[in-house]
Amino acid sequence: MLRWIRDAGQVSEFEGVALVHLDLLYRAALRLTHNRAEAEDLVQETWLRALRHFDQFDPGSNCRAWLLTILRNAFLNRLRREGREILESDMAADGSGAVRLEEASVAHSNPEEDFFQTVLHGDVDRALRTLPLPFRLVVTLADLEGLTYKEVAQVLDCPIGTVMSRLSRARQLLRKELVTLAREHGYSEESR
Amino acid sequence: MNCREFDARLHAFVDGELDAGPMADAEAHVSTCPDCHGRADGQRRFRQLLRQQPKEAAPAEFRARMVALARRERTRKKVRVWLGTPALAAAVLLLAFVLMARSLSTGGHEPDLVGSLVDKHLAYAQLEGPAEFSSTERPAVAAWFRQRTGLRVPVPDLSPAGIQLVGARIAEADQHKVAYLLYEKGHVLMSVFMVPEVDRRAPLAGRPMSFRGQEYVAEERQGLRAVSWRDGQTLFSLVSTLDYNALLECAEQLRAERAREARL
Repeated sequence: MLRWIRDAGQVSEFEGVALVHLDLLYRAALRLTHNRAEAEDLVQETWLRALRHFDQFDPGSNCRAWLLTILRNAFLNRLRREGREILESDMAADGSGAVRLEEASVAHSNPEEDFFQTVLHGDVDRALRTLPLPFRLVVTLADLEGLTYKEVAQVLDCPIGTVMSRLSRARQLLRKELVTLAREHGYSEESR
Repeated sequence: MNCREFDARLHAFVDGELDAGPMADAEAHVSTCPDCHGRADGQRRFRQLLRQQPKEAAPAEFRARMVALARRERTRKKVRVWLGTPALAAAVLLLAFVLMARSLSTGGHEPDLVGSLVDKHLAYAQLEGPAEFSSTERPAVAAWFRQRTGLRVPVPDLSPAGIQLVGARIAEADQHKVAYLLYEKGHVLMSVFMVPEVDRRAPLAGRPMSFRGQEYVAEERQGLRAVSWRDGQTLFSLVSTLDYNALLECAEQLRAERAREARL
């Protein structure tokens, strides 16, 4: 009897704390998979795992970071299963050669006003897709979803310092890609 | 703080993630260095651009499914305690057909895949149209799988037993890619899952069962019966509320279809 009350309460509590993060999980899954059916399946897997392990969730802790951690792990497991080399690309992401300072300063030197005005709807998505997974993840979490560094570190299971360096490189790469897209828009307008 | 030091903290500064001391230092530097001030400003606006991106919501149908899943879990827990074995999914048949990929498997313990498949089925059984690709044509479903996964998925003809093909899905369960076939018998839904390459040494949980010279493993889960077997690196699992005999007949059809495919 007691167990029934506790268990039933636990699941309704799950809905109470987890349901508000469903859209966030869905968006994150979309950015990882680029495919709606796969994204839904990934979120469902996350959802089921979270439901089953909800007793391990500390009510005082951060639910969205907890859910995103499950989502990230489920996604990485899928990649591993498909034989994709995530670990290597993860290391490359933190390697010093990934983005050089010169590249960063090229992006810095662009006239900001022009650059921002030419970013069209869908450009950010398009640019984001070109980023290696670790960069895509960190930008998605920190910039698009507004997680704090601490939350991002929890989800990515890495030190805050790594979040900072990865985010910095990710933004540089993304900016560079957006500048390229902006130039393409400019070019096509002139050529018409 | 000089420009180089500021540069190392630029993003944390813009994100408001610096501690009070470094934050004050950075602010002091920005107020005296137009160059760094400009860069911080540019970063801030870039960050704003990203934060202002449209935020898509999960589709209503999907959200409803997740809510139902959580409720289902709640009901299941209640029933499990009161009845011991839930009769919940009484009108539900799950045929799970699994080829599993376990590249890192050490031959120790298989994950509780059948349990995950039952969950998967319970989730999809609540939908009006659970198939991602709806078709009653076996060749069309086989072609869809080939195109989507490159896998040759045997799609058995179970119509002599009154079981009709509904469609297919690609799913995931316990870190395995699962090809999922759905059948129905009257109001009884039947699902078929597949994942390639299973660790052939890992033991299957359950009670050994023999049917027409073939070995199976049987197990009850959440009021559903599961019949599983391994064929080479392929694991098959049938789960249903039907009796074991009906399941074993389906299992045999599946084996026959697979053998027929292999001969082609």
